[in-house]
Amino acid sequence: MTSSAPTSDFRAFWRSVRANRMALAGLAMLAAALLVAVAAPWLAPYDPEASLRVTIEDVYAPPSAAHWLGTDDGGKDVLSSFLYGARVSLTVGFFASFISVVIGGLIGLTAGYYGGRVDNVLMRFTDIILVIPDLPLTLVLVALTAPSLFNIILVIGIVGWTGTARLVRSQTLAVKERKFVTRARAIGASSPRIIARHILPLVLPLLVVNTVLVISLAILNESTLSFLGLSDPTAVSWGQMLNFAFTRGAMSVGAWWALVPPGFGIVWVVLGCTLLGYGLEQILNPRTQSHHLSAGARMVARLTERLTSQEDRLARPPAPRPPDDLSAAPVLLEVRDLSVEFVSPGAAPARAVEGVSFSLRRGEMLGLVGESGCGKTTLMLSLLRLLPASGRITSGEVLFLGRDLLGLSEGEMQAVRWSELAMVFQGAMNALNPVRTVGDQIGEAIRRHEVVNDAARLDRRVCELLDLVGIAPERRAQYPHQYSGGMRQRAMIAMALACNPQVIMADEPTTALDVMIQAQVLELLASLRRQLGLAVIFVTHDLGVVAEVCDTVLVMYGGVAAESADVDTIYNQPQHPYTQQLLKAFPDVSQVGGRLVSIPGYPPRLNALPPGCRFAPRCPAAFARCHTEPPALHAVARAHTASCHLLDPAEAGRRAGRAA
Amino acid sequence: MKAPILEVRDLRKLFPVGPAQGWGGARPLVRAVDGVSFALERGEVLALAGESGCGKSTLALTLMGLEAADAGAIWFDGQDVTQARGAALKTLRRHVQMVFQDPYESLNPMMTIGEIVAEPLVVHGLAGTAPERQTRVLKALEEAGLKPADHFAGRRPHELSGGQRQRVVIAAALVLEPSVLLADEPVSMLDVSIRAEILNLLSDLRERRGISVLFITHDLSTVAYFADRIAVMYLGRIVEIGPTRAVLRAPQHPYTRALLSVVPVPNPRLRRERVILQGETPNPVRIPPGCRFHPRCPVVTERCRSVDPALTPAADLGHAAACLLLDQA
Amino acid sequence: MKRYQFLLQKFAWALFTILFVLVLNFFLFRVLPGDPARAGVRDPRLTKAAQEALRVRFGLDKPVINCFETLNPLRLGDCWVNPLETQFFIYLGNLLSGDLGTSYHTNRPVAAILAERLGNTVLLVGLGTVLSIVIGIALGVVAAWRARTLIDYAALVGSLVAWSLPTFWLGIILLLWGSTQFGLPLGGKATPGLAFASPLEAWWDTGRHLLLPTLTYTIIFVAEYVLIMRSTMLDILAEDYILTAKAKGLTTFQILKDHALRNAALPIVTIVALNLGFTVAGAIQIESVFSWPGLGLATYEAIVRRDYPLLQGAFLLLAISVIFANLFADLLYSFLDPRVQTG
Repeated sequence: MTSSAPTSDFRAFWRSVRANRMALAGLAMLAAALLVAVAAPWLAPYDPEASLRVTIEDVYAPPSAAHWLGTDDGGKDVLSSFLYGARVSLTVGFFASFISVVIGGLIGLTAGYYGGRVDNVLMRFTDIILVIPDLPLTLVLVALTAPSLFNIILVIGIVGWTGTARLVRSQTLAVKERKFVTRARAIGASSPRIIARHILPLVLPLLVVNTVLVISLAILNESTLSFLGLSDPTAVSWGQMLNFAFTRGAMSVGAWWALVPPGFGIVWVVLGCTLLGYGLEQILNPRTQSHHLSAGARMVARLTERLTSQEDRLARPPAPRPPDDLSAAPVLLEVRDLSVEFVSPGAAPARAVEGVSFSLRRGEMLGLVGESGCGKTTLMLSLLRLLPASGRITSGEVLFLGRDLLGLSEGEMQAVRWSELAMVFQGAMNALNPVRTVGDQIGEAIRRHEVVNDAARLDRRVCELLDLVGIAPERRAQYPHQYSGGMRQRAMIAMALACNPQVIMADEPTTALDVMIQAQVLELLASLRRQLGLAVIFVTHDLGVVAEVCDTVLVMYGGVAAESADVDTIYNQPQHPYTQQLLKAFPDVSQVGGRLVSIPGYPPRLNALPPGCRFAPRCPAAFARCHTEPPALHAVARAHTASCHLLDPAEAGRRAGRAA
Repeated sequence: MKAPILEVRDLRKLFPVGPAQGWGGARPLVRAVDGVSFALERGEVLALAGESGCGKSTLALTLMGLEAADAGAIWFDGQDVTQARGAALKTLRRHVQMVFQDPYESLNPMMTIGEIVAEPLVVHGLAGTAPERQTRVLKALEEAGLKPADHFAGRRPHELSGGQRQRVVIAAALVLEPSVLLADEPVSMLDVSIRAEILNLLSDLRERRGISVLFITHDLSTVAYFADRIAVMYLGRIVEIGPTRAVLRAPQHPYTRALLSVVPVPNPRLRRERVILQGETPNPVRIPPGCRFHPRCPVVTERCRSVDPALTPAADLGHAAACLLLDQA
Repeated sequence: MKRYQFLLQKFAWALFTILFVLVLNFFLFRVLPGDPARAGVRDPRLTKAAQEALRVRFGLDKPVINCFETLNPLRLGDCWVNPLETQFFIYLGNLLSGDLGTSYHTNRPVAAILAERLGNTVLLVGLGTVLSIVIGIALGVVAAWRARTLIDYAALVGSLVAWSLPTFWLGIILLLWGSTQFGLPLGGKATPGLAFASPLEAWWDTGRHLLLPTLTYTIIFVAEYVLIMRSTMLDILAEDYILTAKAKGLTTFQILKDHALRNAALPIVTIVALNLGFTVAGAIQIESVFSWPGLGLATYEAIVRRDYPLLQGAFLLLAISVIFANLFADLLYSFLDPRVQTG
């Protein structure tokens, strides 16, 4: 369509290379080496081929003005040999790796794309070649043929293709399984077209990285061969210089100048390749900036900030209260004005959660509803202080039985986790450790928080827990992969119950499950809640599930609490336009026919929020004020709040005045 | 009434799984699709509903010729295309288009939106000249709701949101002016507020273009708004089929009844008694004898253990279920 | 897959690979030009009778294998010869009886030379491997845990530089430095002509000789283990089950020990197995530089002296060791990966 696309891709790529110090350093080192190799005849002070008149003083003469890097055993200038040596080393590196990459690429692509028997035969062959140690094989092959530059290139190239073949095959397999390839087949595209248009472009970047590394291996191999005396006597490479120096007495006279420069040249080029390859790989597969154990920004903002936020809070209405039958129960958890932001270098902070307040009573099931990216998971993680390193809580309090969890030390917090507040994660497959048995992982939680000396008692506890969630206790010795999806989620629930916590936070616990299994898990959660008097925060995007199991609901949009009330009010008298629209967009099996209403537009990006109400750009009822001023939380009724300007009594008065 | 656009008769698809049984023994077979028959009428939306592992996605791949059928027949527009190869298969793939579940995965990240939508034209050698192709691509993009189309054509998939990507997939299907659309869970990866748009778009296409849609889903609630008929699958076979209203209001098969009872309804006033089946769908390698649903059936009788029921007509016109209870009534 | 099935498969595969290496070893040394036995036979200075005597002595008068009189595939020979009378089966038979031929250079049996060299290589490689794995894992874990701090960057850059060093060159530089600065021996396994009063003194002497080769080996191999361990740990520490472990209230040390390290064991075993080929390459270079009397030095000497029977024997022994080491890695893998145990 547009011819500018490839160039803009290249520009974006070049930008990321420039931003990657490793890739840039590697590129510079390789460019310098290439320059030296090309310009050797002009740079070299002496002709390395010319045989000098050698006197005894010329042999292994130390560096001097005439010979900057001294002379070698034949009285030749080391610097000149070094400069010319770059030519041989680089030539071998580039051509040999070209052979390896072509052979390996073709074999890998064929095996990966055609699969089945073709794959089997090719990969078995590759496996065999892979276990044969390559240096001895190369040595034997070169030793048995005449050691010419051409033969060396050929042998190194032919021996070194296995890594490329395996890499290309696995990447081809991965790309082939992707849906756009299936779609191309479904359109009727031929195999050559699929390979050329859909597979090769996605394999190529990795192949380039691999080629850079293969070049470095080829250069190392060439130097080793030369050092072992198997090189073309007419082409002096760095390895050969080392061979001559080492075997002809440089060690005994301490002529380091004959030994250091050639090795330095090899390291320079190989390190250049390594840095470039490593940098390119970082660009292609960017890792997340941090992991779960990396030290983050300060969790809680400075005290002064918190004080101002507390003053601010006085002006706000109190957190919503649950309906009557629950209002007698004691409050377990109270979250006040919690704000969380994510910082990333070079971008505006993403305000993922802002000013959210709610409370949770014993035995209450609170539904936290919202679409993806609305901040519900972030909110849950911040309650346990498990935010990733880039996230920080900027204001607010998390009061658990009156104690502010945000003020605890990390050690105190570790003791609170799981014993008081436990969590059921979304994907149980990933949330369970694949190499430890399910029983072991449940027992681990108990051992962490209680003093258990009796292994048999611990085992009995694990069995009871599994029994409680409907898993046969014999299966405690099995691994997560032996469980079905529904059973893994049950095991996750059993694990959450292990230390008798007061609050369980379930983050989309049924999302990936089939509707029947979902019903089983929901039923289990509901019955456990009744039996154990648990308080549950149920995070989901599924309005149907919330209607089925929750007592109270908190609807989130773009990081703020849009509306909160008991479940009946939310579904039957929603006040916030977002809640209203969401309910109309949600399909209902009890309503046959008709048309769903869609909400135009997309949720806001959290680092580029609209200045006013976060829902304003999509809101059918938005007016001028909505686009400039964020709405406050207004109390609609007892225990029913919504953040919308329409509910501002002043706004209502203004409108009534205008109408009159 | 004209012949159905797509008809499937007793279709079967088996996959070998796991290692061979003993030395030189055969590998066990998964009966992914195990005798499925149905007809897709012209301009109709037929929903194929079922839980994961019921064989609905394998059925779609087999219909597209991406998997070879092991038995049975597929008829497209009055022609047997079961064994179609080469040119015949290519023609079939021009008229039957597929929309996949995951809009993040079904677009090649290295191609522009324009190239993606133009690819089917190139593959089938249609719209030979570049300007002609450009016109058709822009038209398809507009029709899929991506306006202004030229603004999108030069972009890449990663610059688009999930809903927009799914629209690109639909545009790439529309550009060939197909008569059948196979939509495999087209909205299940999208946010609720976006889902309605895509469903409404598919609904409009059916009305404007008369495209027949085979809508494969695990979500019965979206079906209610969208489909003319529903076929419920269990363990590789259709256990109930009929007009949407009839199936949803008066389900005949105990499995359909259970499935409907556990679909969450977004209204707390409608909380009701649920029929929660215990255990999980059996392994399709060892399909139970007799009625395949009998080990989990709440109303199982002795006969169910030995007799495999066929689809039996129910009270409403065109409504049928594979249950022995219907037989006796 | 059950474990015994997995292992049976791997064992059968190892046997097949060994067979392949045997065949390769046989043909490689016959197909390629430069085989001195045949070159000698063709020497025009020799009389016909002497040539024929040489042919008989090296067994070159016999057909290569059934149906092939010579290595020229176009010239077919008799298929009905006794297989035991062909060069290939004589070679196999000799191998089975432990006869690897006679060294041209020393006129001693190759098997005997290799046997006395094997122990020295195992000592050097074993010590270096253990050291590099232990140090590599420790450094890699710390680097990943403290990702994007000074420690991490130092470990990363240091490893990349070490990875780029040619093994033999590092050996030379260390040798130059160690012998001039610390008076360490210039090579070999024992100081020649020295009589030891006690075994302790002999060990001390060996240790002084072993120090620099081991150091070289460790530096070269530690680099790769640090890089692999670091990236594996970075992946693992970003997994959901680490978050679960953290949510369970486990301390950082417990998480690293019980969750991360245990899961990292699998990739490390795989990479150690893949490295075995490089181990051989490292041994050849290091032993050549330090004159450490092991298999690597034997290989080097065989090349320099064109001692083909010795080269052939050394190649065979090295290849088979790597195959067995791979089999051992598979065995270890089957105990570490629950998916292999239980399928």
